[in-house]
Amino acid sequence: MTPVIELDNLRVKLGRREILKGISCRLGASGSGKAIGLLGPNGAGKSTLILTLLGFHKASAGSARILGLDCHRQSRDVKSRVGYMPENEALIADMSAVRLLRIMGELSGLPSRVALEKAHEVLFHVGLGEARYRPLGTYSLGMKQMAKLAQAIIHGPELVILDEPTNGLDPAARARMLKLVLEMKNDHGMNVVLCSHLLRDVEEVCDEVVILKDGAIVHHANLEEERRANRRFVELEVSGDDRNFAAALSEHGAEGVNEGAGKWRIVLPPEIEIDTLWRIVGRESLDVQRLTHRRDSLEEIFLKAVGHIHRTAGDSAAPPQEVATNGRL
Amino acid sequence: MAVYKRGYQRYQGPLTSPASRLLVLPRFAWERLMQQRLISILFIVALFWPTGCALFIYLSHHLDLLQGMGGAATAKIFDINAEFFFIFMNAQATFAIILAAFAGPSLIAPDLSNGALPLYFSRPMSRSTYVLSRMLVLVGVLSPVTWIPGGLLFLMQSGMAGWDWFSANWHIGAAIVAGFFFWILLVSLVAMASSAYVRWRMIAGALVLGIFFILAGASELANAVLRVEWASAFNPTRATLQLWRALLGLEPFPGPDEYECFAALVLMIGLLAAILNRKLRPVEVVS
Repeated sequence: MTPVIELDNLRVKLGRREILKGISCRLGASGSGKAIGLLGPNGAGKSTLILTLLGFHKASAGSARILGLDCHRQSRDVKSRVGYMPENEALIADMSAVRLLRIMGELSGLPSRVALEKAHEVLFHVGLGEARYRPLGTYSLGMKQMAKLAQAIIHGPELVILDEPTNGLDPAARARMLKLVLEMKNDHGMNVVLCSHLLRDVEEVCDEVVILKDGAIVHHANLEEERRANRRFVELEVSGDDRNFAAALSEHGAEGVNEGAGKWRIVLPPEIEIDTLWRIVGRESLDVQRLTHRRDSLEEIFLKAVGHIHRTAGDSAAPPQEVATNGRL
Repeated sequence: MAVYKRGYQRYQGPLTSPASRLLVLPRFAWERLMQQRLISILFIVALFWPTGCALFIYLSHHLDLLQGMGGAATAKIFDINAEFFFIFMNAQATFAIILAAFAGPSLIAPDLSNGALPLYFSRPMSRSTYVLSRMLVLVGVLSPVTWIPGGLLFLMQSGMAGWDWFSANWHIGAAIVAGFFFWILLVSLVAMASSAYVRWRMIAGALVLGIFFILAGASELANAVLRVEWASAFNPTRATLQLWRALLGLEPFPGPDEYECFAALVLMIGLLAAILNRKLRPVEVVS
């Protein structure tokens, strides 16, 4: 299957500064209806990557392909198959939503009558049906975000690139936006690239995640697999003499790191159940104050990837910086 | 089924051709411009002079209707020649500037001030296509007050004067069309570059008028202060008129000749294109 995004040693310079430093990866599969999350701290190069994919920036070296098409050389073909929701304000204030969407639809190649029908259809779909004749300048922030989403999907693109779609939304509007994104991929088979700094949004919607830092990919993960792998991650707090606890754990093939004051981080191998841990604790005459099956959240993956927290026991992957330098994912 | 009842479905039908999409922006822009009362009024006013010229041509062929006036003198006044069409073009050029000043800035300034360019450029539309589309709007607005009435007047005169007049003066018709197209190109670029540069409609409109009228004054001032004549080449109106005189086969104005004026105009067009190229970007990169 053709990957949705394929980067090969992509380098992008803005002025004299290199923003993307030779990144390589293959993300998603065309027509699979999967969502790819693009994460990274501010200045990591997420927006530059999106803008390069859209052909707004030229690569100084390497190549970027979307749905098998070169983003620079086949820019026109790429753009007719992609929908883009920009992060910033982009709606023409004194124009009605229907009119803007008609124009955008026709520019994407929809016949005039179809564009008009689709404009109404999409606006009802995103919940702006009643407000579709109002000037866009009178819309609330949430409505503007929905209008931006509507213009991105009016022509039924194969790939929708959403740049911070939930920015500034209240919880209800955020939930609605994420529901629409989920529908786009699950019901309509669209591939989605979601660029966000809100990890919960990415966690709720995405199947794959790429974490960028300083213009390099520091982590690329299948979120579902990541979640499964981290179910064996336990945080334990005990009172009593725990000096032999580490040895007792290793006898059973588990690894534990003492964080002091009776706090332990333990990684259980797949064959060890949590009951075994209870038995070890009993044998060592320790009192359990707290035991958490810590489901490693995306936040932890993110912080680990960008190097804000120490790597924990049992984490055998190469350090993130090495991953980035090698360009290996 | 009512549109609010049916859910969203991805469009998977045939797409229009890229060439036909070139007219999407002009179509919507013309519709919007024609809804503005001021533009409609300007449009109508700009057609007064061509109507007067048409009447003049008609009378020139029906001098018997003016029996009270002296015969030979009247015939001289009503002589339809290149000078007549030059005066017509001169007047219509002014109307074209005024129309462009009011209609032009509303084309690009809203896109820039609202940050809408990424929406256009994330679609199969290049920057040059965008500029061409926007220029077509002005070509559509300015054509009915420039080369179309000019061409009709020429055809009217040809029809009334006969084949001999046409075969001796066909270059006038070509000069009207070519001259006005060059003028439309210049005026459109000035209007678009102004709105791209200042982004505020009112100021951009004033800037369009300013470029034509202030440059005229500035070039005359430069001529007077430096005791030269070449500064007239940098008055876009004067330079274009000189070019038109050459195309119509008339005696040139004193000062820079048609080649020098043409070179100055090409330089101006290049400068305006560079401004548009600099300003019309989907994202601004701060180095």
